[in-house]
Amino acid sequence: MHRNLELYGAPLARFIVVGVVIALCCWGVYRLLRRFRVGDEAASGYALITPWLLGLLIFAAYPILFSLVLSFTRYSVLQPPEFVGLENYRRIFTADPNFRVAMKVTFAFAALSVPLGMIASLLTAMLLNTNVRLVGVWRTIYYMPSVLPAVSTALLWRWLLVPRGGLVNKVLGGLGLPEPGWFNDPQWVIPAFVLMSLQGAAGNNMVIFLAALKGVPAQLHEAAHIDGAGWWARFRHVTIPQISPVILYHLIMGIIGSMQVFTQPMFIRTPGRSGLFYSVHIYRTGWEYLQMGYACALAWVLLIVILILTCLVLRGSRSLVYYEAAK
Amino acid sequence: MMRSVFGKCVIYLLLAAGAVFFLVPFVWMLITSLKGPEQAYQLTLGLKPTELRWQNYRDAWAALPFTRFLFNTLFITVTATVGQVFSATLVAYGFARFRFPGRRVLFVVLLSTMMIPSVVTLVPTFLLWRWVGLIDTFDPLVLGSWFGGNAFFIFLARQFFMGIPVELEEAARLEGASAVRVYWHIMLPLAKPLMLAMVLIAFVAQWNDFLGPLVFLNDFDKYTMTLGLRFFEGSFMGEAPKWHWMMAMTTLMALPVLLIFFVAQRRFVEGVSLTGMKG
Repeated sequence: MHRNLELYGAPLARFIVVGVVIALCCWGVYRLLRRFRVGDEAASGYALITPWLLGLLIFAAYPILFSLVLSFTRYSVLQPPEFVGLENYRRIFTADPNFRVAMKVTFAFAALSVPLGMIASLLTAMLLNTNVRLVGVWRTIYYMPSVLPAVSTALLWRWLLVPRGGLVNKVLGGLGLPEPGWFNDPQWVIPAFVLMSLQGAAGNNMVIFLAALKGVPAQLHEAAHIDGAGWWARFRHVTIPQISPVILYHLIMGIIGSMQVFTQPMFIRTPGRSGLFYSVHIYRTGWEYLQMGYACALAWVLLIVILILTCLVLRGSRSLVYYEAAK
Repeated sequence: MMRSVFGKCVIYLLLAAGAVFFLVPFVWMLITSLKGPEQAYQLTLGLKPTELRWQNYRDAWAALPFTRFLFNTLFITVTATVGQVFSATLVAYGFARFRFPGRRVLFVVLLSTMMIPSVVTLVPTFLLWRWVGLIDTFDPLVLGSWFGGNAFFIFLARQFFMGIPVELEEAARLEGASAVRVYWHIMLPLAKPLMLAMVLIAFVAQWNDFLGPLVFLNDFDKYTMTLGLRFFEGSFMGEAPKWHWMMAMTTLMALPVLLIFFVAQRRFVEGVSLTGMKG
């Protein structure tokens, strides 16, 4: 009993104190801004985002700036950092063969897994949004893979995709299809990872798509139906525009997530550098070769690549995404 | 009539084909969890009924203090999830509905915080928590999510709020209701289906988190379930891997989450008050 109080009571008390402090900060920001004659709308807006602003300073700005500083140093953790200027960045673009491999692997994975994952989860959500029987059971089945810890799914897929005797290849062979080498064949490593990712991603994305599909007004579908729109026309001109904010969300999250895949490639051995994802490259550089400064530089390059991609997507989508409130 | 029957058949066929693909790892896990130690590494799915070793579950649970691990995991999961869902929706409401100088820039900053590879912020973050003296407590695993929680959720909730027509809150705002009141009494009830999805996602993420507990917890008494699982993987304590135990524990960990999902998914179907609001 005493141990339980010590284990859970003390942290809980701290959490409540932190919660109250955050609330007081919000209130303080509002009062302060109002005192300086800031309008009610702007002051409320700032007050509402105060928790995030605090978190930004503590849990994002500080670690990120710290890693930026480290990216200009040689830092082995054991000794204090030593300033080397732009040397790390020069090395990335001219003297690191693994950098190009890692970029290629990561981009290939992202280019396959993002669109496929999106189509798969949207299709699943739409199938589950119809009036099928036992809809709860179906939904739960499709959600299953995403509740398993990554350690376990990596182990399971290593078994399933064993080239000789693995279940997947047995099925393919039985159907008279070629049996790829999956994780043993450099050509098939990326498709194997994509196959794995489809299952895990589909669960969570399916839930969000489902929530979005439920939000599409039934009247719109009925009106389109009365006007003689077929299944495809309604999907194309009613469903897609209505859920376009959520599609944009999935696109951006998909790009960001797939560029940072880490756990699965860490647990699955692949031949040569065929499974050298960018995050794995960063991790090995930093934690295995103890080149923290260089790892930070690598991370910053990745950060900028992702930032550019996201900006392109946001810009390109501006005319394509429909917001009810913006009307 | 024929057409709709045909359509139904296609839907069921597609659903069943997908279900097989999604069920295979799960079935494999169940079967391995019932195998003896010497068969656990075999690739064949085959399992004679005489070999069902239900005691794997009891043995695995007893091999380590899993009851303690369960309470630790529950504590972290619940507190972090609550903090994440409420703070993320609050911040998202601010971003979605209030015009203030710098909003666009801040939102781009929000998006870019998601792009930081966690491998790299880990060390500075660790140093920060060590400086506060809260290493080997649950705080580093929970408190981060009380500050706007998760940028993913803020983005998601903002998208959701922007899809809700403004008329309702405008009326309330004109009558002088504060932003927090509108958030609590109007926005949150509307966002119920979304919050349910967020709770599920946050819960699963915390429940299965591996890296966080690995880095921040030292005391065996504070370990979580996933850290316990790792002991069966084989690379620790110089013992033979116990994959049958690992799969048994994974099954036990997955069951409550699946149960919660199975119960909660009905809410998506029924409780969407949003639909009537539009148009």
